[in-house]
Amino acid sequence: MRSFNRAFALVAATTLLVGACNGAASSPSASTEASPTSGAPSASAPAEQVTLTYFTFSAAPDHLADLDAIVQAFEQKYPNISIEVQTAAYTDYFTKLQTQVASGSAPDTFELNYENSVAYASSGALLDLNPLAAADSDFDPGVYYPKAYEVFAADGVQFGVPEQFSDVLLFYNKDLFDAADVDYPDASWTWQDELAAAEQLTDAANGVWGHFQPIQFFEFYKVLAQNGGSFFNAAGTASTFNDAKGVEAANWLIDKVGTNMPGDAFGPDQDSALFKSGKLAMWHTGIWLFPALADVPFNWDVSVEPGNVRKAHHFFANAVVASAGTSHPEEAWLWLRFLTSSEEAVKVRLDASWELAAVADQDLFGPYLSQTPPDNREAVFEALSDIVTPPVIEQQSQMQDIVTLALEKARLGQLSVADALNEAAAQVDALLP
Amino acid sequence: MAELADVSMATRARTRRPWSRIVGRAVVHVVLSAGGLAMIFPFLWMLSTSFQSAGALLVPPPQLIPSPIELGNYAEIASAFPLWRFLVNSLGVAAVATVLQVTTSAMAAYAFARLRFRGRDALFLLYIATLMVPLQVTILPLFVEMRFLGLVDSYPALVLPSIASAFGTFLLRQAFLGLPRDLEEAAFMDGAGHVTVFRRIVLPLALPAVATLAVFSFVASWNSFLWPLIIVNSPDLMTLPVGLSNLQGRYATAWNLLMAGSTVAVIPILVVYIVGQKYVIRGVTLSGLKG
Amino acid sequence: MVGQRGWQYRAVVLLFIAPSLVPLLLFTVGPMVAAAGLSTVRWNLLRPPEFVGLDNYVRLAADANFRDAVLHTVAYVSGYLPLVMVGGMLIALALNQRLRGLAIFRTAYFLPVVTSWVVVALMWRWLLDPGAGLVNYLLGLVGVDGPGWYNDPAWAMPSVIIASAWKDLGFVMVILLAGLQSIPEEYYEAASVDGAGRWTRFRHITLPLLTPSLFFVLVISLINNLQVFDQVWVMTKGGPAGATTVVVEQIVTNAFSYGQMGYAASMSLLFFVVLLLITLVQFRLQRRWVTYG
Repeated sequence: MRSFNRAFALVAATTLLVGACNGAASSPSASTEASPTSGAPSASAPAEQVTLTYFTFSAAPDHLADLDAIVQAFEQKYPNISIEVQTAAYTDYFTKLQTQVASGSAPDTFELNYENSVAYASSGALLDLNPLAAADSDFDPGVYYPKAYEVFAADGVQFGVPEQFSDVLLFYNKDLFDAADVDYPDASWTWQDELAAAEQLTDAANGVWGHFQPIQFFEFYKVLAQNGGSFFNAAGTASTFNDAKGVEAANWLIDKVGTNMPGDAFGPDQDSALFKSGKLAMWHTGIWLFPALADVPFNWDVSVEPGNVRKAHHFFANAVVASAGTSHPEEAWLWLRFLTSSEEAVKVRLDASWELAAVADQDLFGPYLSQTPPDNREAVFEALSDIVTPPVIEQQSQMQDIVTLALEKARLGQLSVADALNEAAAQVDALLP
Repeated sequence: MAELADVSMATRARTRRPWSRIVGRAVVHVVLSAGGLAMIFPFLWMLSTSFQSAGALLVPPPQLIPSPIELGNYAEIASAFPLWRFLVNSLGVAAVATVLQVTTSAMAAYAFARLRFRGRDALFLLYIATLMVPLQVTILPLFVEMRFLGLVDSYPALVLPSIASAFGTFLLRQAFLGLPRDLEEAAFMDGAGHVTVFRRIVLPLALPAVATLAVFSFVASWNSFLWPLIIVNSPDLMTLPVGLSNLQGRYATAWNLLMAGSTVAVIPILVVYIVGQKYVIRGVTLSGLKG
Repeated sequence: MVGQRGWQYRAVVLLFIAPSLVPLLLFTVGPMVAAAGLSTVRWNLLRPPEFVGLDNYVRLAADANFRDAVLHTVAYVSGYLPLVMVGGMLIALALNQRLRGLAIFRTAYFLPVVTSWVVVALMWRWLLDPGAGLVNYLLGLVGVDGPGWYNDPAWAMPSVIIASAWKDLGFVMVILLAGLQSIPEEYYEAASVDGAGRWTRFRHITLPLLTPSLFFVLVISLINNLQVFDQVWVMTKGGPAGATTVVVEQIVTNAFSYGQMGYAASMSLLFFVVLLLITLVQFRLQRRWVTYG
């Protein structure tokens, strides 16, 4: 036992030593706490060495090298600013971010998706970028895709710059269509066309299904819009998604299950596995999956999704923002601007198919459009002509869960569609201010 | 020890027919093996998935034997992430935490099991009570505390909250309470103090429990996720579970890579467990008290 | 007992207690007290907290979601605990003998305990897949129509219970094994010599001397599994249709997804009181059935 005590003492001493060294040397958060700033904002970069932290969820695991390339290019252009990248998986990102914001140690710059950004903005956690943008003589907001830029502004405050956008398309397995002698989907399709094709393509005996569309909040508000309905009333004071159009839209999502859509592919990556194994003819999913489907052993392509009364497509956007409490607002602005709209950054993103840089100049997308598969990448931009943005309130996550739960109950037959939607509408209304 | 075992077996043999004993043994073996196979199954599947190529995954029905066999996954995660660094960090933190936890728990357990003082039972209840609030609720105040101490993103911050273990104290208290007191009393009469009795008698006698605690502490620290996630920012200090979580993309996860990482993560624990088991078994010989 | 002389004895007590008490107070009890304070505010973590007194508790009393989560948690523990304790005990007893390949068995049974839930959950989802999974396939062989498992609200919780019990059997086994190994072989010798059979030896030596370990397993398992979270989060996320929501899942969702940190803290404080009471009762009852040295 004596040797045990000795070992313990040694280990304890080592820990304390390591700790002391670490505490003295590093502490990246020190840069946001007490470092001297350069006084008055100016358009030119200040001379002292500044370290900015940047927290992101979209880099790992596939694009760490791409982000690194952008960071290198930035640090070359502004040698006195160095960027410290911190990553987390999307599922853990907000837990960590909120803990940091709540304790006053938010990263200088970080990433937010649109649905979550509203709560951050209205809570005053984000820096208003307008004064910095105005002071920056060679910045032109027109460099960004207009819709993407507007969406991150509220009440005269620009709380973020758009970094990426993506949308959802109808992916289809050309080989299955050929084998069943069905015409490929095109821009003129409606729900009925999709249903008809799905019925012909479903081959239950061989485990082949006609189509798959997730049944949750995001798909719901989209098909609601496709059916001419709207989620809230014009004033945003009450939910209207449980009206007749809403019920029809929900039925469109749910009735397919079991007949020409699989009923047990809702788990993580299950629909993906189904499509990749050639057992799914049509699939509503996002353009972010292009790289993942590059090597599948069959021919596939994309088309804009069919509408009903009208066409409506998703528009998902991520922004990069600066914390309201950052000690380096000017440097943060330079980084945010570079990350999202500089030539170098945009080129890296498009070459790597790392979602789409939210820039307005369509010419830049040339290389992206010419990559195959899929051939019909123009559909990505076609879809942008009829978009529907997510309904967003401050209690966003709660609202999403309420709607998804209602749809699940309806799908499982626990409630009728109308009852489920009415219940959800009442609960969502309770969340409205 | 062996002769005593033989005596008892011979005694039993005299009272039962030999073949029913053999059949009984065989049945136990078969059941245990079937159970054991069911237990190993996830590990085998994890191993198999770690050798699959990205395209072949989760295709219904998933195959147990990968074809084609992809050897590159391990190399890929090692190049995409500083895997060695994660391993070393995890190892260091787990080793330190284990030593500290076993030490502090054993000492406190001795006090609760053998010493009498006012408020002893209430204090013990306080220890147990610390197990009743989920970390997700206390993590914010704890983070603020670390920030106040200037320890965010540091090795000490990873270890400090694990110095004490109510679980370990409870485990060892039960073990100590179960020990016969004769040796201790003899030692006290010979003039030994509590510290000596603790080190020379109680700890060796309770070696199975102490070794068990060491294994559990190591496993808990090794697999710990939420606290390292929150407190560590730099990749240099990241531990393995947090590092591996970065393999989970927002829309799709590279399961084959994640399984490769998880396989790597399990191996050190197995080593610790196998070594620890030796002390659990060895403890038997020491408990066969002589005189 | 050694003479309990004043300050010397107190110094000894302090020496043994302080190394664990001080860190515990600093890093666990302190934050727990702070969390109790958090239960009196409304806080979305992004803007400064707002004091609301006991509002959160009033809300909690009427919250149907919380009530459902509590029921589900109780259901989970009621199914899980017997399975894992009986199963763990049987395995520990079986592995306490001289068997060939003992070390291999012990390692095999412990393997699930150390594998992360991310891996285990995925594997169980595959095993329990209603269409292509192994379990339903095997059930089909004996003519039973397998249920929808985690897709079916009625079978989702049983799926979680089965997966959890399977994973934790090794934990119970290891603890009980250590307890069994601590029983001096001589007691068994003496009993055999006196002509006691296997069952008698088990009832009068093994079981009583195992009670401290059993007590530990019971108390710890109850405390840990009433706070079940990881497996629910990874396997079903509280679904399908809210069939597997549990208390800690509600706490985490409210704290970090819904921006209701104060409300989550009040949930956890209420739950803490319940856990404390349950444990107190167990400690009271132990005098009746636990025998020490």
